[in-house]
Amino acid sequence: MNGGAATAIGFFRPGGSWLHRRNPLTKLLGLLWVLLAAFLLPPPVLVGLAAAALLLAAACGRLADVLRSLRIPAVLLASILVVNALFYPGGRDLLAGLGPFAVTREGVEFGAISVGRLLVAFVASVLLLQTTLPDDLLEALVAGGVSHRVAWVILAAMQAVPRLQATARTILEAQQARGLAVSGSLGRRLRALVPLVGPVVIGALVEVRERTFALEARGFGARRRRTAYRLVADPAIDRWLRLATVAGMVAVVAAAVAVR
Amino acid sequence: MAGQDGGGRPGMSPGARRPGLVVDGLAVRYPGRPVPALADVSLAAGAGELVGVAGRNGAGKSTLALAAAGFIPRVVRAAVSGSVRVAGLETGAAGPVDLVGRVGIVFSTPSSQLSGSKLTVREELAFGLENLGVPRAEMDERIDRTLADLGIDHLAGRLPAALSGGEQQRVAIASILVMGPGVLVLDEPTAQLDPAGMAAVADLLMGRAAGGTAILVAEHRHVVLARAARVAMLDAGRVVADGTPPQVLGPAIADRAGVEVAAVLRVAAAIGLDPSLAFDEGALAAALDRWAVDARPVPAASAPPALREIAWEPVRAQPSTGFRVDGLVHRYPGGVVALAGVDLAVEPGETVAIVGQNGSGKTTLARHLAGILAPSGGSVQVGGTSVSGRSIAVVARTVGLVFSDPDRQLFSRSVELEIAFGPRNLGLEAGTIRRLVDQALRLSGLDDRRTANPHDLTGSDRRLVAIASILAMDPALLVLDEPTTGQDAPGVARVGAIVDAMAAAGRTVVAITHDMEFAARHFGRTVVMRGGRIVADGPPAAVFAPTNAALLASTGLEPPPIARLAGRLGLGAPVPLTVEELLCRATSPAGASRRRGRVRPLTLTLPETPSSS
Repeated sequence: MNGGAATAIGFFRPGGSWLHRRNPLTKLLGLLWVLLAAFLLPPPVLVGLAAAALLLAAACGRLADVLRSLRIPAVLLASILVVNALFYPGGRDLLAGLGPFAVTREGVEFGAISVGRLLVAFVASVLLLQTTLPDDLLEALVAGGVSHRVAWVILAAMQAVPRLQATARTILEAQQARGLAVSGSLGRRLRALVPLVGPVVIGALVEVRERTFALEARGFGARRRRTAYRLVADPAIDRWLRLATVAGMVAVVAAAVAVR
Repeated sequence: MAGQDGGGRPGMSPGARRPGLVVDGLAVRYPGRPVPALADVSLAAGAGELVGVAGRNGAGKSTLALAAAGFIPRVVRAAVSGSVRVAGLETGAAGPVDLVGRVGIVFSTPSSQLSGSKLTVREELAFGLENLGVPRAEMDERIDRTLADLGIDHLAGRLPAALSGGEQQRVAIASILVMGPGVLVLDEPTAQLDPAGMAAVADLLMGRAAGGTAILVAEHRHVVLARAARVAMLDAGRVVADGTPPQVLGPAIADRAGVEVAAVLRVAAAIGLDPSLAFDEGALAAALDRWAVDARPVPAASAPPALREIAWEPVRAQPSTGFRVDGLVHRYPGGVVALAGVDLAVEPGETVAIVGQNGSGKTTLARHLAGILAPSGGSVQVGGTSVSGRSIAVVARTVGLVFSDPDRQLFSRSVELEIAFGPRNLGLEAGTIRRLVDQALRLSGLDDRRTANPHDLTGSDRRLVAIASILAMDPALLVLDEPTTGQDAPGVARVGAIVDAMAAAGRTVVAITHDMEFAARHFGRTVVMRGGRIVADGPPAAVFAPTNAALLASTGLEPPPIARLAGRLGLGAPVPLTVEELLCRATSPAGASRRRGRVRPLTLTLPETPSSS
């Protein structure tokens, strides 16, 4: 009935793990490093990255939640694998024939690498979201020199997803209560989308207006030098970690250039 | 905006001479609208003064609130003439920082005014101070002082999103006041709250006025308006009356402006009592007692303009259908127990109002009737058939549930198409659908707006479209979730007419409501919920009897005003619920013998006390 508490903290799961205690900027840089490494370095590195991410999740007690969250991209990842396996252009090495379709080694490889990269990126992002309070990320970004308006937009985007999910659920129920059938043929399912999309869009617009009013009423439009109430810890270890991560990024780029 | 001195204009009270809010000759026209939203509006709220603004929906209350807070024209575009001054500053020329330090505004939806990202109420209050660049060292002191002034210091460490609506609204007010404005503007601050929340917000506003804040509050509810120093009545964008609450909210002015007349004012008018005493329940009861001794013929009390009665003719051949809920338990993911064992049997054709504070399980129960939720325990049977295991769309052939927020379901480009959506889903013939749509349009009073886009309608009309879209499915069991929220007096009367018509057609009607007068007037049975259980169940004349006052209070409710007056006169169950019934009972022989016996001791009958969660 009331998902208010859940949406307030976005995907954040309270806790006191090592990762929870890191400064959000450190985690953000870490995420960037993982993305660089996953997409620039040779594919075998992906295995190491994935193992490291899952180990970190386990060490912070987040493994079960992270694995559960994999349901979200599962269909996308599976379809990437299948489409590449069957339709990879320039695939020569035939592994199996399925009627008019041919599964090629190159296709399977490319699909697996793509899936691996997205998987690593997804797990790392989920770890960041689950261990970082959106507000702390905002304060850390502002402290790091990002305009607080830009930081607010990032925060709002992080919060929008769970809120939108809750809204969409209510809308679906309301339309089903008007006799809307959401199962059946593909055509029927597609037609059933119309009464769902309209209220979602209108609801989002109404919310934008309400939130604009609310922010204005709280002086958000005041062009003053902003002060911060919430203090985000930034221990010495975080500063060293960030230095190390930046060095790691340089190393990744250098290695990627060297390999090519 | 042309600044002129407001002294001597109509609507200025002596208190307004101290700095506060001064609106003078204000006119507002939104782009693309043929008629102005406000025309030549002048009023003032001085420091320490609470001024109410009444008026039916569309009369211009929200526009006045937005203009008073400087949101028009700075945030909302509109052509403006006349002047608005807050603490001596002309709002049209002022920047956001100057304005926020002088005037703050609070809207009706509590949750959407909070930043939505803060872990504690304390941080929520700090948000505005951060934007104003207040040094961190000063913040805690200002936050503590504001929370203490408003009497909500106990909320300081709570998660804002997990608070009740009434608590959230008080936090929203606090997070505006912490920025230090001397003028506070509120746009229907109690519209979304349950009765306990409304009372708490009203008390808080009285306290702030006493503390020196100038307050302008646009409202429908008498719980706030009756306590204002003055009330301005808006009608079609103009101030048609400005005076004390008893003057402005009495039948002479309010009935004409489409605003609900306080029942106590109707009583005062009927017995010839000075209306200024009417809001003092003790004084009114004493006067009524003296008046009744003379046992003169009962005068006709003034009544709100009645709607032409419109009938509902059943179109689909459906048997009259009741329902039966046995031991129903509902546990939400996360462990919150919303229903802790509910037993309720409703006969075909009954009308049932379900009341209780927010979180008592009312909406959860309604969703079970529509088959949206699966019971964690117990069973739900509609018309003798179990609901569980059937799809929502199949249950919808029998049960029509109107959700509380119309914006969660409207999507068509015309009212007509919107209303036809439901019957189409039922697979009815074109001719039948047309008949149902026409009938639903007529009953909900939307006949002249059938081609309008639902999203161009006012909030009350959108709610009526949502109700009509379920009526057109001709449900055997109609379930309404807070149908009168955000409705003005004509809107409430319209929803009441719909309930009456469906009941007359033999349909079963269930409504969740926070409006006790609505429950008493249109429903044969009142079910009171608290902490996921039913704690009282019976005809309103019994449930609202004085002996149940403590029970009702335990779930944040109080009997409607007439029943409360009857309680003060010592009239027991069946307690009168309308002005006429009250006057009759007060003068009847039974009433007289009661007076001879003087005050009857109040006995309290509480059903077995469940632990309220």
